[in-house]
Amino acid sequence: MFPGIEKNLAREMPVGMGQAVVTREPARLTSILGSCVAITMYAPKLQLGILSHVVLPNANGSVAVPAKFADSAVPYMISVMQDRGVKLGELVAKVAGGACMFGGGRFMDIGEHNARVAIAELEAAHIPIIGRDIAGNVGRRICFDLSTGTLTVESPGHPSRII
Amino acid sequence: MTDVSCLETTKLSLLRELFASATHDASAAMCCWTNSLITLTLDEVCEVPLQSVCTDLNLGDEPLTMVVFNLDGGAGGAMILTFTEESARRLAASLLETDVQGSPDWNELERSALTETGNILGCAYVNAITRLIDHQVVPSPPHFVVDFGASVLEQALLGQVGATDTVLIGRTRFQHRDAELNWWLLFIPTTALRAVMERGLPVTP
Repeated sequence: MFPGIEKNLAREMPVGMGQAVVTREPARLTSILGSCVAITMYAPKLQLGILSHVVLPNANGSVAVPAKFADSAVPYMISVMQDRGVKLGELVAKVAGGACMFGGGRFMDIGEHNARVAIAELEAAHIPIIGRDIAGNVGRRICFDLSTGTLTVESPGHPSRII
Repeated sequence: MTDVSCLETTKLSLLRELFASATHDASAAMCCWTNSLITLTLDEVCEVPLQSVCTDLNLGDEPLTMVVFNLDGGAGGAMILTFTEESARRLAASLLETDVQGSPDWNELERSALTETGNILGCAYVNAITRLIDHQVVPSPPHFVVDFGASVLEQALLGQVGATDTVLIGRTRFQHRDAELNWWLLFIPTTALRAVMERGLPVTP
């Protein structure tokens, strides 16, 4: 449970690597991120939201797990929201994650690349990005509150942020 | 832990033998280093779905103290030695022959003691694997990290996740005499190292 957040009837649903979860209020979607990126889309009127836990920037033709890749996650998320009656113009997005952890080795640029592709895909789809908390070299624990659309971001040794 | 058993059972069983042998060598090194009876036991070698790996490994959602290595060479991977903060502080105090520090920060000596522990363990583990599969794997200098276990694991898994939606992980646990310690050693090969390890397994009649 996130400190500072009052426990209520909202379900807390973890979203694992490569997963996308769509749900509506009352619910909170949570993830822990390192180099991965969380993309959220939210339809405020319906209090409906989706979170994808993106692992890699490009699918390179792979279609089996669209939420795993930044370039396939965005169109997939849009189609899931549209299937639920949301118009494209009603969506707002946020992006968090994309850290470079522990020096990173050969994969040190992946986090940055994940964030860059996610942002580019959202911009190409004309979905306004109203919050972002990306890059750096520490992990993030995030909580997407479907009642408000806020994204709470916590990192060890840093004050929590709400975007 | 969920065992998807995508690997052939025989292959998985042989991989367990390989990891168990490396664990044995690492255990001997750990006994020497800590001058006590800390032993390592292979907990499991398993293939799990990417989406549930952090839950299956029970890494929790609080920060952990970790020593992390990248494994280089033609085919590599990563190793993560994880402790709860309390366990890490106890180990550091024991190695430094001091009382457990109450400070929330880690001083240089404490970091050094834990990093060296990881170095000794990791080298013993990797040397055994290298010998058994006849393939050079070189550990990077260890990194001391205090962060979410899942965040660090994500980056360690990058060498596998491009090619597959399941991941292979070897996990070792630690004991002090008969008591379980809240320490874990995770061995995460890249897809290439995993293939080398599987090729290097002895063929059973």
